[in-house]
Amino acid sequence: MTRATNAGTGVTRYLQVYTVLSQALAAGDIAAGEALPSEPSLVRQYGVSRTTVRRALARLAAERCIVRRRGSGTFARDKVAKSVSARQIALILDDPRSVGTNTTVRLLEFKTTPIPDFLHREWPEFGPNVLTIRRVRYVDREPVALVTSYLPEAVGQQLSVRRLGNDTVLAALDKLGWHAASCEQEMSAVAADPITAKHLDFGVGSPVLNMKCLVRDARGQILRYANYLYRPDRYEIHTAVERDRHPRGRQANRL
Amino acid sequence: MASRSAQRTNKSKPARGKGFPAQRTGRGVARYYLLYEHLSGALNDGTIPSGGALPSEPDLVSRYRLSRTTVRRALARLEEEGRIIRRRGSGTFARQNRKAVRLQLDLHTFFDDLPQIASQTSALLLRFESGPVPASLRELLPELGSSAVIIQRLHRHHGTPFALTTAYVPQHLANKIRRKSVERASLVTVLDQVGPRTTQTDYTTSAVAADAIAAKRLDVALGVPLLRTRAVLKNGQNQLNGVVESLCRPDRFNLRAQMERSGARSSNPQQWRLKRGKT
Repeated sequence: MTRATNAGTGVTRYLQVYTVLSQALAAGDIAAGEALPSEPSLVRQYGVSRTTVRRALARLAAERCIVRRRGSGTFARDKVAKSVSARQIALILDDPRSVGTNTTVRLLEFKTTPIPDFLHREWPEFGPNVLTIRRVRYVDREPVALVTSYLPEAVGQQLSVRRLGNDTVLAALDKLGWHAASCEQEMSAVAADPITAKHLDFGVGSPVLNMKCLVRDARGQILRYANYLYRPDRYEIHTAVERDRHPRGRQANRL
Repeated sequence: MASRSAQRTNKSKPARGKGFPAQRTGRGVARYYLLYEHLSGALNDGTIPSGGALPSEPDLVSRYRLSRTTVRRALARLEEEGRIIRRRGSGTFARQNRKAVRLQLDLHTFFDDLPQIASQTSALLLRFESGPVPASLRELLPELGSSAVIIQRLHRHHGTPFALTTAYVPQHLANKIRRKSVERASLVTVLDQVGPRTTQTDYTTSAVAADAIAAKRLDVALGVPLLRTRAVLKNGQNQLNGVVESLCRPDRFNLRAQMERSGARSSNPQQWRLKRGKT
């Protein structure tokens, strides 16, 4: 396993161990005050060297996530003021009205450029140019999402930095009379690259929730393509799925 | 490492690589990996089209101020993954996009897709026993109680593991479940056979780093990102039929949803919801 460890991620072993432990601490799998496994048992569990384990623990100690007591072991620290849960933040971000009032954004990019290749290949109807908007969304001054939007030029040219303000892109488009009606989403998990890590104040290589979506209006015209990178400890996607009232019999077995 | 000014000069080149900031080797990240990831992204999004040439080794060395060894290591990995082909004397080229065998779950057709996925895949039963409900779930779903029957399975597609699922089922329903049936069918199907039909699911999607157990089971490196989902299954009386937590490999499993918005033109707050699952 050890060999695969490094080959798979390009992230050094100590960072992998650090990521996994820091996640367990943040999620409360190792509760405040509880002891972490001993160094030798971490060595066995992760198939890494003692030095690697020590380096990961040293970083956790420096970040004040754990406390090491000579002779008795390593313990999870009390969290300094429990931050708002991912579920609570999702409630704020999923409601277009509260996003506008209870959160802030930082604008990184707002400019019209030639369409990126991946968009052109997938949806040539975007046209030759797109407005690219890249922003970081904050809740309680903590970064939650890095959002990159691409708008067809015809849609984008009516938008300005001032008109967009703190609104979500869809809310701003609504005000301009472009009403989103449908959206295709794809959800995945990716490792934070250095840029994402910087903007989300997160470790390089840490898991990030990725949602890509294509939004159209009621006539099927494309309004926006967006790529969301969310910190998974601060946001989760909720979807309510309802089943048809009655079993569909044969149709359910379509293949 | 490249200085800022060096990067600027790079921009004047036909810059396919301008997004790769060679000076930001984040702590603990191998340098070769940054280049690998950058090229990998360019291959994925078609910046380097299939059949197209990659920049030459010396070009990559000078553009990103990396050693030749580092550049070679990144290219070697791409080659190993079958994404590029290196032709002696003529250069390095992007290979035809091999579509990875990837499963897809569409949330808008969730209840139709589950049995279909189950029929295309195999499930290895790892645990089927009563056990304590983890604190995080107890908090979320007090009605589950403090113990439940835990059904843990490893799901494979064409021999490759793609999901590790852990289901928590209330005792009174689990008593009627036969071991054999969970090796073949989706949990929703199995629950339908033993109790009130599942009529709704609250589905939560997140991301998590693979811990030692998940990494071993799913045959991935420690710490790689996994898609984490939780399906809370409820019947028509809004009672809990069970909870399924899944860890999925994002390179093998795709999650999609089609959403629609009602009353887009009215002044009401517009609600997005899943498109009705007609196909």
